[in-house]
Amino acid sequence: MSRYILQRLFGLVGVLFGVSIVLFLALHLAPGDPAQLLLGPLVRPDDLARLREELGLDRPLPIQYVTWLGHVLQGDLGRSIASHRPVLIEIVERFQATALLAGASLLISAVVGITVGVLAAINRGGWIDRASMVLALISMSTPSFWLGMVFIIVFSLVLGVLPGSGMISPRGDGGVLDVLAHLILPALTLAAVPTAVISRLTRSSMLEVIGLDYVRTARGKGLTEQRLVIRHVVPNALIGVATLVGIEAGYLLAGAVLVETVFAWPGLGSLLVTSILKRDFPLVQGGVMLIALSYVLINLATDLAYAYLDPRIRYG
Amino acid sequence: MTKQRVLRMVWALAAAALLVLASCNQLPGQGKKGGTFVLGLVAEPTSLDPAQLTDINSMRILSSVYDTLVRFDEGGFELKPALATKWTVSSDGLTYTFELRKNVKFHDGTPFNAAAVKFNFDRMLDPKHEFASTGPFPFAGFYYGSVKETKVTDDSTVQIILKTPYSPLLNSLTLNQGRIVSPDAVKKYGKDYGQHAVGTGPFKLVEWQHGVRVVVERNNDYWDGAPLLDKIVFRPIPDEQTRFTELKSGNADAIVDVPPDNVAQVKSDNRYQYIEQPGPHIWWATFNLDKKPFSDLKVRQAVMYATNRDAISRDILKGTGTTANGPIPPSIKWAYTDDVTKYPYDPNKAKQLLADAGYPNGFSAVFWVPESGSGMQSPKSMATAIQGDLAKVGIKLDIKTFEWGAYLTKYNAGFGTEADMGAMSFMLDPGDPAPYLGLVADSAAAAPNGFNAGGYKSAKVDQLLRQAVATTDQSQRGKIYQQVEQEMAKDLPWLFVDNQIQNAAITTKVHNLKLHPSFYIFFDKIWID
Repeated sequence: MSRYILQRLFGLVGVLFGVSIVLFLALHLAPGDPAQLLLGPLVRPDDLARLREELGLDRPLPIQYVTWLGHVLQGDLGRSIASHRPVLIEIVERFQATALLAGASLLISAVVGITVGVLAAINRGGWIDRASMVLALISMSTPSFWLGMVFIIVFSLVLGVLPGSGMISPRGDGGVLDVLAHLILPALTLAAVPTAVISRLTRSSMLEVIGLDYVRTARGKGLTEQRLVIRHVVPNALIGVATLVGIEAGYLLAGAVLVETVFAWPGLGSLLVTSILKRDFPLVQGGVMLIALSYVLINLATDLAYAYLDPRIRYG
Repeated sequence: MTKQRVLRMVWALAAAALLVLASCNQLPGQGKKGGTFVLGLVAEPTSLDPAQLTDINSMRILSSVYDTLVRFDEGGFELKPALATKWTVSSDGLTYTFELRKNVKFHDGTPFNAAAVKFNFDRMLDPKHEFASTGPFPFAGFYYGSVKETKVTDDSTVQIILKTPYSPLLNSLTLNQGRIVSPDAVKKYGKDYGQHAVGTGPFKLVEWQHGVRVVVERNNDYWDGAPLLDKIVFRPIPDEQTRFTELKSGNADAIVDVPPDNVAQVKSDNRYQYIEQPGPHIWWATFNLDKKPFSDLKVRQAVMYATNRDAISRDILKGTGTTANGPIPPSIKWAYTDDVTKYPYDPNKAKQLLADAGYPNGFSAVFWVPESGSGMQSPKSMATAIQGDLAKVGIKLDIKTFEWGAYLTKYNAGFGTEADMGAMSFMLDPGDPAPYLGLVADSAAAAPNGFNAGGYKSAKVDQLLRQAVATTDQSQRGKIYQQVEQEMAKDLPWLFVDNQIQNAAITTKVHNLKLHPSFYIFFDKIWID
């Protein structure tokens, strides 16, 4: 097991290295110059040249890359071109907000998605099944920014029960309850699609398991329906769902951008969008690497979760 | 009733009266003290080190924390004393002497004096200065490139000595780069000073939660009288619809840059005040003068006549812009004149001019437009309107859009033979046509040596621009710029489109919030019910 984890961690380094090269090329080969953007339209050519030199942008690309990589290996992600703050501080600060939002959404989508999927499967063809699957189809096809705006209009403007923007009330002290209240709407918005996907997969893998021989045997043994579902069907049906939850976790981290923008949530996604527009290379590089790192780590965790959920799977 | 009882009653009444008086410490004409004011802005400040930035958004926040040596009056571009009580300019225009306000302290308790002023300018302008590494300061050279040195004559007198006469200096001192920071704080925080603003302004920085809010609180020792508000909370709300929603839900007491589509709604709602202020802004489309067809003046005149610019301001910008007739915005009153050649909407005249120029059936041209960008308003809809107008006289515009970052690089490199027109805008926040005009209209600034992308060359304009910068007297300078404006309105190197109007929506409980043409906000005068 530990050898397997080591192997995977080794592979992870390779993946991150690949991501860094693709990212670096994509950023630097796209048109647009951070120095020009920082200085704005009217600038004297020598001021522009001096700033490019100060930022090291006048050097050949391979050298810029190697320099950056060298610093990263020493734990230094550099400073943001726009704000001059250390990139590490800036992205970790924002990543916490994104992780909170993505974590809450994941929790909602896993709990609601699995419950609804299980209920739909055991009531196959009944009204719960039909209603929940129609609802799943609708939420899967609703764009998150639109849903977010509808939530804001209904819950924050018309009913006035929940805050619709930011992470803390502007006049408040930012306590836990304050943050929780601000978290509800964006978390629900972000959870809509994964909840639907998880509930549909839970339902279909439940139905698959229910049709298997061992379930018929268990039923023949005289087990109550409730015990049968909880002890024998759900655990087996959830193995596939666990993979999906892992994939959705990655999606949530990377896909929070739109929701963060609509709700002015101070997360990494919205920071990356503005940084890409400013061509803030060090910040975008650091931020995307952090997302890539968490993505591969979540994947690893998902694979390990298999072994826990299904004793037949062994890594070695 | 015993005497004692009566006395007790009198005392009780007096105490009650005192309490009432104390609870409403509202003196007539002065406004009420206290309260927190929440302002929704379009973005985060990039830094709180004023020397490093020029963006309007950061400027608005910074005007609460810092002071400048001189500042504009509340209504226009007239210079008033601030940290400098008096100033004189030597007759050769090379030495500016400032008498500094005494007994002013920075928020960290250190004194403001001549040494502090010198520290500020040296840090920005001298690459060998001990704290030059707290930069970069890419704008310092742009505005103060003519400064030779800053000299301390005594504790409260400082001189700025120039290499060559540069009359826009005083106006440039009102910009971010002219905001005086505490030298001790710079020494203490080094490269991280941008997170720890320490100035002499009416408010002190309390916290900056990135992406969430910047909070400042009243500076009770402010030299110009303590402000009325307890606190101001600046919130970055980049999405314009969200910004508007936050105003409606009460999570912001005021927002700036109301989206054009929501203006009518705010105006008709009596819960809000809607205020406007023409900014020193200009939106134009540069013609490529190096190649046909726009090398021909008649063709350029035809485009001016064919474009219904009033309709763009009215229908697309919903009144958040006014038609521009020249390169200088009307809000810079001292340099502006309305007495220029005008080109009212007249498609028939345009057709006639095109026929005279040898294009009776029109022609095709490429028009570069950014998708968005600072000061660019609604570039795509505006360009489409221009395209529609020109199509009516036979000119087929091929609009090519670029993302702002890519656009700046392309525009800056010049049009070459790739484009015939390109959209651009600028904010003249020093309230002075210099240094902007020198960079877009002087022939020495033709691409790639500057931002004169269309290659405009006029010996007369060159000479006037250079003369204006060397002239110290403002009214004389104003007359020179008026001539520049008249020349350019005749030569038409650009299609002049509009001058933007800044706006804000404010809940009725907020008083005295005004927008200044320079984008400055006098926060110390604001109060809330």
